[in-house]
Amino acid sequence: MSREPLLPALLFWLGLALLPLWAPGWLLGQLAQHLGYGLLAMSLAYLWGQGGLLSFCQALFFGAGAYAYALAGLGRLPLLPDSPALGLLLAVAVPTALAALAGLLLVTARVPTGPAWAVLTLVLGVIGERLAVASPFLGGSNGLAGLPPLALPLPGGPLELVDPLPSFLALLLVAAAVQLALARKIAAPSGSLLRAVREDPLRAAHLGIDPVAVRLRAFMLAAAVAGLGGGLFAAQFGFVAPPLLGLGLSTEVLVWVAVGGRGSPLAALVGALLVKTAEGLLGEWLGAGWPLALGLLLLLVVLLFPRGVFGGLLARLARPARR
Amino acid sequence: MPLDPVLLLLDATAQALTLLLVASGLAVTFGLVGVINLAHGELLMAGAYTVLALDRAGLGFWAGFALAPLFVGLLGLLLDLLVVRRLRERPLDTLLATWAAALVIRQTVVALFGPASHTIQPPLEGSVLVLGAPYPAYRLLVMALAVLVTLLLTWLLLATRVGLMIRGTVADRTLAAASGLAVHRLEAAAFAFGAALAGLAGAATAPLLSIDPQMGLGYLLPAFLAVLVAPAGGPAGTAVGAALVGGGESLVSAFASPVVAQLAVLGGAVVLLRRVAGRRAGRER
Repeated sequence: MSREPLLPALLFWLGLALLPLWAPGWLLGQLAQHLGYGLLAMSLAYLWGQGGLLSFCQALFFGAGAYAYALAGLGRLPLLPDSPALGLLLAVAVPTALAALAGLLLVTARVPTGPAWAVLTLVLGVIGERLAVASPFLGGSNGLAGLPPLALPLPGGPLELVDPLPSFLALLLVAAAVQLALARKIAAPSGSLLRAVREDPLRAAHLGIDPVAVRLRAFMLAAAVAGLGGGLFAAQFGFVAPPLLGLGLSTEVLVWVAVGGRGSPLAALVGALLVKTAEGLLGEWLGAGWPLALGLLLLLVVLLFPRGVFGGLLARLARPARR
Repeated sequence: MPLDPVLLLLDATAQALTLLLVASGLAVTFGLVGVINLAHGELLMAGAYTVLALDRAGLGFWAGFALAPLFVGLLGLLLDLLVVRRLRERPLDTLLATWAAALVIRQTVVALFGPASHTIQPPLEGSVLVLGAPYPAYRLLVMALAVLVTLLLTWLLLATRVGLMIRGTVADRTLAAASGLAVHRLEAAAFAFGAALAGLAGAATAPLLSIDPQMGLGYLLPAFLAVLVAPAGGPAGTAVGAALVGGGESLVSAFASPVVAQLAVLGGAVVLLRRVAGRRAGRER
């Protein structure tokens, strides 16, 4: 799908914004966290659906953002003041820089985007998880706790994003802004370049497009979005630990995006919200059976709905608009 | 602890050969069928658990050792029929689906055996003097098995009719099909054979390490790195890749902590992989 339909997106965000009228506080708090995961899902949908770069380590950048926020928020970084706002900035900057480094390794070596690429992302994910577990600076396997919340500088004094309602609304605004920005990006000429490189890098190169630069930019943009999600997640959760950047979460994102629809960030976000909500409802009942259900779900979706459940729906909505 | 160079070298060789045994099944599914099977580690784990189950049932190690390749081979056949074959034209989705299958197998094992780790006794006790250094007899047996499997694979591929048919399918699938070869059946057989090799590797290494539901990934990544950095296709290339990855990790871990060793090997493999992948991409162009 080349274009994200605008109307369903606006209706979706409007509907979500009306939720606080009736939804209880605990649900809003939960949804705020899930919207953080939703940012991660959107980043993978952009990278995988638009760029054709299937990443098994996307949670690495989410976790890096969360850790960056934690380190800055706790004042653990030398020469820098302990500031949540700075933490959020770093939550975007650090994963982007990491992606530039990893991208130099993966993208510029012109590693074919098939099997070798996927295995390399798996390896990167394992390296990241082991480093986080082994590093005392990052709190080892215990992680870092007691993170300060984000505060909005309002005229009547700073508003700390602790209560469910302001957290939910803040996350909603950020997620909606990111989704609309990604939709614009996808529809823009640079989005066409990314798809051209996905479809045929050699032909794209012959047309004067630099496939390496295009892929590297997509990789970094996806990392920035994932990092933002991680930073916001950490700000609400108040606690970061290695599972936030591990292969387990990276696999979960794959499920959300595959279920929602890899072609569209909005569909991926809906997939994340739905699967996480289902986990909240069924997880306790299924217990250890939940990961098994998740695996079966991924298997069925890949076999039966390759475009995802909502991706196909959105594509159908988008078709008349394109004419 | 003073480092005995003979023991050091023996350990490196043992690790390289164990990895070769693990990677040879992967080399069959990846090199011959062209499928990246991310469930390979879990197939291996299924082999180890087969040995564990039969050992607990009182049938002894060797019954499990004999049955594991058969059982896991059947599992592989099922995986090919239900999943891999349907996604032949969508390689990225094959990765995703086999990753999902890995999750399903892992969680099934958790449900059946629990999340805890288990150990079983090696069937061969005692040690043998190798160049003056005592070495566990069972490890030597596993090393010999790895060499045997590699030789057998080479013979199968280069000297038998089935090997010729498979090489023909790898070289040009359409032409092979047009020449009357049942490529689907050949690919299914090769995939199941690769799975059976995973079962064999899992059974053979079961007494060497702890058996737990998470063991698959620990095998999968080094084995994949070994197959990917292999300078050439076929069992000989896999052997070189396994020597680089397995031997390298063992040697570095003698001088540094295991985490550092793993990181060093992963980093080194990424660098090597860049070169190999770049060269392969260059050859395709």
